[in-house]
Amino acid sequence: MPAYDAINQAAGLIIPEIILLATVCIMFLASPFLVSETGKAAPGLRHRWGTLSLLALAAAGFAWLKSPISDTGLGPFQADQFVWFVRGLSIVFGMLLTMILWDQVEDGIAAEANACLLAILCGVNFVALSNDLVGIFLGLELVSIPTYILLNLGRHDWMRQEATIKYFLLSIFSSAIVLFGLSWIFGLAGTTNLTVIAARTAEGKVAIDHGMFRVALAMIIGGLSFRLTAVPFHFYAPDVFQGVSPSSAAMLSFIPKVVGFAALLRLLPVCVGLTGFVNWMPEGAVRGILTVIAVLTMVIGNLLALRQSSLLRLLAYSSIAHAGYMLVGLAVGNASQGTSGVASLLFYLSVYGVMTIGLFALITAAGNAGRPIRAIADLSGLSRTKPAIALMMTVCVVGLSGLPPTGGFLAKLNLFLAAWSEGSQDGRILAVTLAINAVIAATYYLRLISVMYFEESTTVSEPSDQNAAWVAGCLCAVATLVLFVAPQWLWNAAALALN
Amino acid sequence: MSEEIQQLVLWLIPVAPLASAVITALLGPKLLRYKSHLPCWSALAVSFVCSLILLLKILPSMGSAAVDPSEVGTFAGPQVLVSGYEWLNVGDLHANIELRADSITAIMLTMVTGVSLLVSIFGSGYMSHDPGYPRFFAAVSMFVFSMCMLVLSGSFALLFVFWEAVGLCSYLLIGFWYQKPAAAAAAKKAFVVNRIGDFGLIMGIFLIWTNFGSLDFVTVLSDSARIAAVEVKNPGVIQLICFCLFLGAMGKSAQFPLQVWLPDAMEGPTPVSALIHAATMVTAGVYLVARCTPLFVMAPNAQLAVSAIGAATAAIAALTALTQMDLKRVLAYSTVSQLGFMFMALGCGAASAELVTPAVTAGMFHLFTHAFFKALLFLAAGSVMHAMGDVIDMRRFSGLKHALPITHWTFLVGAAALAGVPLLAGFWSKDDILAVLSEASHSKEHGLFFGVIWAVATGTAFLTAFYTFRAYFMTFCGPEKFPAEAGHHPHEATPIMAWPLRILAVCAALIGLAVGPTHLFANYLQKTMGLTPVPPDSQHLHWDVMALSSVVAIAGIGLAWMFYVASPKIPGAIASAMKPLYLISQGKFFLDEILKALVVLPLVGIAKLATVFDRGVIDCIVDSIGAIPKALSSIPRQFHTGVVSSYAGFMWAGVVAAVVLVLTMF
Repeated sequence: MPAYDAINQAAGLIIPEIILLATVCIMFLASPFLVSETGKAAPGLRHRWGTLSLLALAAAGFAWLKSPISDTGLGPFQADQFVWFVRGLSIVFGMLLTMILWDQVEDGIAAEANACLLAILCGVNFVALSNDLVGIFLGLELVSIPTYILLNLGRHDWMRQEATIKYFLLSIFSSAIVLFGLSWIFGLAGTTNLTVIAARTAEGKVAIDHGMFRVALAMIIGGLSFRLTAVPFHFYAPDVFQGVSPSSAAMLSFIPKVVGFAALLRLLPVCVGLTGFVNWMPEGAVRGILTVIAVLTMVIGNLLALRQSSLLRLLAYSSIAHAGYMLVGLAVGNASQGTSGVASLLFYLSVYGVMTIGLFALITAAGNAGRPIRAIADLSGLSRTKPAIALMMTVCVVGLSGLPPTGGFLAKLNLFLAAWSEGSQDGRILAVTLAINAVIAATYYLRLISVMYFEESTTVSEPSDQNAAWVAGCLCAVATLVLFVAPQWLWNAAALALN
Repeated sequence: MSEEIQQLVLWLIPVAPLASAVITALLGPKLLRYKSHLPCWSALAVSFVCSLILLLKILPSMGSAAVDPSEVGTFAGPQVLVSGYEWLNVGDLHANIELRADSITAIMLTMVTGVSLLVSIFGSGYMSHDPGYPRFFAAVSMFVFSMCMLVLSGSFALLFVFWEAVGLCSYLLIGFWYQKPAAAAAAKKAFVVNRIGDFGLIMGIFLIWTNFGSLDFVTVLSDSARIAAVEVKNPGVIQLICFCLFLGAMGKSAQFPLQVWLPDAMEGPTPVSALIHAATMVTAGVYLVARCTPLFVMAPNAQLAVSAIGAATAAIAALTALTQMDLKRVLAYSTVSQLGFMFMALGCGAASAELVTPAVTAGMFHLFTHAFFKALLFLAAGSVMHAMGDVIDMRRFSGLKHALPITHWTFLVGAAALAGVPLLAGFWSKDDILAVLSEASHSKEHGLFFGVIWAVATGTAFLTAFYTFRAYFMTFCGPEKFPAEAGHHPHEATPIMAWPLRILAVCAALIGLAVGPTHLFANYLQKTMGLTPVPPDSQHLHWDVMALSSVVAIAGIGLAWMFYVASPKIPGAIASAMKPLYLISQGKFFLDEILKALVVLPLVGIAKLATVFDRGVIDCIVDSIGAIPKALSSIPRQFHTGVVSSYAGFMWAGVVAAVVLVLTMF
């Protein structure tokens, strides 16, 4: 095949990403001309950049719906059902995040903020798309580097600077670990192409039980656990969530998890000689590590969330605990019998995104640019000052705690069933740990509701100026309920993504 | 009509009120305010139209094509519209929601949505100045939704869910004026008494699950051979199931001794009483027993119990109604009494197998006609109450004939229908019940038993005519007298309240004549699963029973006229002559007090003991378990120092630990 045709064909697989990256370039190039030397810009410029961002996402979404789906890897990319699912997540949640960002940034830096967000979404897609170790690493960095910028944009108080620096240092550290692991795999397999690695492993040319191979996998899991906020790689989360703006925290609570799970789902099956993960199930050492991390993450995340008085710290620990629940699905894998763990994981990931981004959007909407909500006490009396927001927040919080009638209930139910029906002893242990942790988590989630409804407001309520975030939160709250009433389509999509 | 449209029509029936409930609950307090009735009206209108389409078009069209006579009446027969919604199919878990509409469902739906629509229209006039206006319509929509789903359920599980939902909505509506202690207490009473019945229902459902391995109506009810096999394998279990299910029905349909909640339930707004008494609640029990006919057929003793309880309830309620001074309370007791009539009929299948279908038909027919005239009576009483400044004690007003002309004549129609005046709705259905009872009394096995029931029923019919017209004469005849609360000029119902009254009055007058003697109702209903259609040649009018019941009705009315119009001194004289009997009736047979002494007080004692145990032992255990996570959380907390290098150190330690783990784990 001539090189030109190969490039052409490969480009045909990444049309949504090309659209997004083109928009990113336009934003970065055009914005300096629209902003004065002192960083001032025409009022309302942020809304125009936000609109462009939404339009780009809509175009990418259109391309996504029309995009071809093929199961075989082609050169650097493979656009299979899993990519379809991840792209859907990144585009839908990208729109919601753009809406949260809408009034959170100053006019002067709006272009950069929106462009960073779009670049991050591209990175998510590339991780899923890549058929190559290098491609996956580049995708991970395409998420990380714009994240550093996004976190640091805007007002420069010391908390935000500290948070950004912490995230920067620890994220680089974790990237290094991942890269180290990837290079070991390259050294063992002699290639960076995933399809070829899988083929060589399946043929037995690469010894799976080689000690080096296992060390490489341990490092990959360890490094990517940073993205998932899994224990003991979670330490940054509370400090960073607390320091950055709610819109950035919303992004951090969800997008890195998508990236981390996408990368793990790409790499782990390949290393046992499978190109897809429909028959994949972690075995031996990998399973051991995943099980231990899952249990630790669930327990420690929930225990520490119990003691928080800062709302954003609490949500950071809750985000850690949810990563633990999702790791249950990964540790179970696609067992031959019962519910599929990976499909449950993908289902949970989507539902979790709806609930957590909705909650962050509503926190954004409940405060205003001058006085954002930070402590749990800031929520007191919200049911009287802003009843609609309090109601929608209640829906999201009930969903996060896994109670009906929300999608969160079904998501936890699926994970529980997957772990329980898998049949092994550690599957049962995971299921029981999940159930116990759901109970512990209910304590702090329900406390949020009680603060909103049963405590008197301590401060004078100011009208919200975050209308776009309000709309995003409303969409998420409604979706949380709709996912309880009509969950089957999402489950079908998640199950289809396995092929 | 295409398949999709049929499914759509079926789903719209419950979904429209649900949507209205959600919209009104969310937007009502802020946005809709005193326009909150609009979603409710339109939703109920949609439901009603869809129910009519289902009743008149879809189901008959399904049965029209050359019906195989052997197939009619089995559940797999032609007149069933099924629509499933695949809710969750994950791995081995399959949870689907199935709506199933057959003849009995269609009849119930039409009645429920039609009456509810009229009640909600009336309600918007009646409640027009109430601050809880949006709440009222949200709850009414929810109530109708729950009831529609209850009759549309295709399995016992779904039925139970909406059985509870109906109970919840009734709680919300009876306690609508929750600031009033009496209303709050009545709501609580209704809820708690219904729980007793629900206990029976859920035990019955558990028994069905363990014995049939399924809760689906088709699996459980359609195959009589299977029911017989279960009975052979486990003798007596069908009877136990029937008793449990009937206990559930007793709670919801207010049968002795669980009827105590219904008369108190009139503490809610009057339109709510009309809903509860006519359409959306008490009929559920009758429906349940009628639906489970195939089970009851196998358990003659349960059927005898149904009849006996029905007769006892009818008689006790009628005797109580004789002396009540509260207009709505008289009507409430009349509902209890009429429900007793329905259950008397439903139990008649015990006499002989041929009587099963006529018995169910008679019971359901009475339910159907009763809905119209009882809704009418309650709404008319509501109109009286509205005009009298919320006074409902019949001693404080009289002679309203001229002041409230529309209310007067509509009430008169309703009262005549309830009393069983010939040609009106109640006459035909009550006549059917008496006819079935008299046929049952000729059977060999239980002839004497049903003879007694028949006598009780006839006596009760006489009492019904008497107390209904006693209320009518006391309210509308005699010297004109208004309470102070009404002001000097009581105002007649506004048009929005008057039109539902007029429509219901026409229904109460004509609907029996239209579908009773023409056998339309019977022929339609008999296509329900579990009923064997009666051949047309054996359907005939029972002239002898008709003559008797006409005489009984007119005698009752005449006696009431004599007592309360011609010579108003007689009742007082009788009351003082038979003081003890009068007091028993006046005190509602002291059932509340008896139940309190026999059931409530012992339970309160046990509850007090349990509280001590709960506080002292269980709370301690639970609290200490609850303290564990919090105590544990102080351990990992120490590691969160905020220092980046220590975080990186922990990450590094994590990687090292993982590497060590993988190298040692093989």
